[in-house]
Formats: sequence, C-alpha cells, structure tokens
Amino acid sequence: MTMKNLKNIFRIAIMVLLASSCSTNNNSKVQPEQSKRDTVIIQAMKFQPDTIMINEGDTIVWINKGIVAHDISKYPDKTWHSDTIEPQQTFEKVFDDSTSYFCSIHPTMKGLIMINK
Amino acid sequence: MMYTIRSLGKWMGGIAGLLILSAPVTMAQTSNKLTDPEIASVAVTANQIDVNYGKIALKKTKNADILKFANTMIKDHNNIISQAVALATKLKVTPKTNATTQSLLDGEKTTTTMLNSKKGSAFNKAYIDNEVAYHQAVINAVKTVLIPDAQNAELKGLLQSVMPLLESHLEMAKNMAAKF
Ligand SMILES: [Cu+2]
Repeated sequence: MTMKNLKNIFRIAIMVLLASSCSTNNNSKVQPEQSKRDTVIIQAMKFQPDTIMINEGDTIVWINKGIVAHDISKYPDKTWHSDTIEPQQTFEKVFDDSTSYFCSIHPTMKGLIMINK
Repeated sequence: MMYTIRSLGKWMGGIAGLLILSAPVTMAQTSNKLTDPEIASVAVTANQIDVNYGKIALKKTKNADILKFANTMIKDHNNIISQAVALATKLKVTPKTNATTQSLLDGEKTTTTMLNSKKGSAFNKAYIDNEVAYHQAVINAVKTVLIPDAQNAELKGLLQSVMPLLESHLEMAKNMAAKF
C-alpha cells in the first residue's frame, strides 16, 4: 500500500465521520434542548397523568382514547378552550404558565399543568 | 325518588320467586342469568331511554345548565349505543328483547308521563332528580347484573369501560340537583 493510498483512505474516513456526526446533530441532539412535547391520555373519564410537570414553552398533546367526546378548558372560567375532541382525536397547546384545566362537557374531569421556571 | 334497582330488579325478583316455587335449584341458577344477546338489548335500551329523557328536556326547558347537561347525555349515550351496536354486529349477536328490557320500557313510560306533566322550575327539578335516580339504577344494574353475566370478553370489556362514564354522569347530575 502506497502513502498516497493511505492518505486517500484516511480522507474518506474523516468525511464519513463528519457526515455521520452532522446527521446525528440534526436529528436528535438539537431538538430536546428546545421545546418538548408531552402526552396526556384521556381515558376512563380521567386525564392520565392528571398532573404534569413541563418546561416553559413545552407542548402538551391530549389524545382522546375514551369512548365519548371531551374538551380541554381553562379552569374554571374557560378563558381558553379546545374544540370538542372526539374519540381518537387529539388537541395540542403550548404552555408558558402553570394552570389547571377541566373538561367542560364532564366537569368531574380535572387536570393540572405545572411549569418548571 | 323510588327508582333505584327496584324497576330494574323487579323482573329478577319475579323470576326468582317463580323458580323457587316451581323449579329445582339447578334450573334457577342457569335461567337466572342474562345471555349476551339479552345483555346487548338491555344496554341499548337503557342508553336509549336516557337519550329520550334528554330530548324531552330540550323541548321543555330554557335553563342553560339543564340544556347543556341534556345535550351531553344525548351525545354520550348515543355514542355508547353506536359502540354496543358495532360490537354486537362484529360478534354477530342479535340483541334479544327480554323481561329486563320490558321493565326498563315500562319505567320509561311512567317517567315520561311524569316529566311531561311538569313545567318550568318544577320540570327542571324533576328532570335532574330523575337523572340522578336513573343513572344510579343503571350503574347498579351494569355492575351487579350485566358485567357479571356477560360471557363474551369484549362485551364485558365494553360494559366495564362504560362504568366511569356513568359514574361521571351521576356525579354531574348530583352536583346539578343540589342547585335546583
Ligand atoms: Cu369530558
């Protein structure tokens, strides 16, 4: 093997390494540092979990796995609220402040969002 | 209100009484149970009756809280009916009318007459009190008769998944009844 061949192999190896480290950067390293998505399951007439701790600016996604429609409304005044969430549908919202919420269709269902600041 | 399990359980008492007088114990044990097609019929009928009560309320009240509650009952109980029918279709179970179905329908007739005879705030109170009593009776029947008797696992599962919804409706109705 000549010196030139060795250099070429080395160059290719570095390029491959650079390319792969670039792609891991793009796909998985950057996102978790920014806003996160957390899931709350609506099932058995409960928000699961009913209390969730998130970082400022994170998104909560509610997934209705129940048998009837629900909504997500600011407790108790409904100053913000989702549309009706039918079974198998989802609703998502970004939160900057802690808040409690409820289902205005079934007011027995309540949940709490706590923000890490 | 004198509802509770009596209207739902009347037929059972009747049948049990007959069997004690005339039939051997082994027969009483097997005949006492509801079959899956009978359970499907009871489930659909029980839900349809609360839809019908809700429709009476939509016609007779102007109270915003009662209207909202009635609309939720109509939507939720129709939803349960759709799922019960879908499951029955999937399992090739044809709902079979039986003594419990008939007893439910008899109770509905009496209650409908009573509700239709009332107006204004008297209607609102009668409607919401009946919703408390009716949900309590249905919960008792689902818990003590329908779930234990159901043979098919998916049917049992559907009945179990309906329980939290009925419990929530009962709590909502009780909270409202306190205000009327
Ligand atoms: Cu709800």
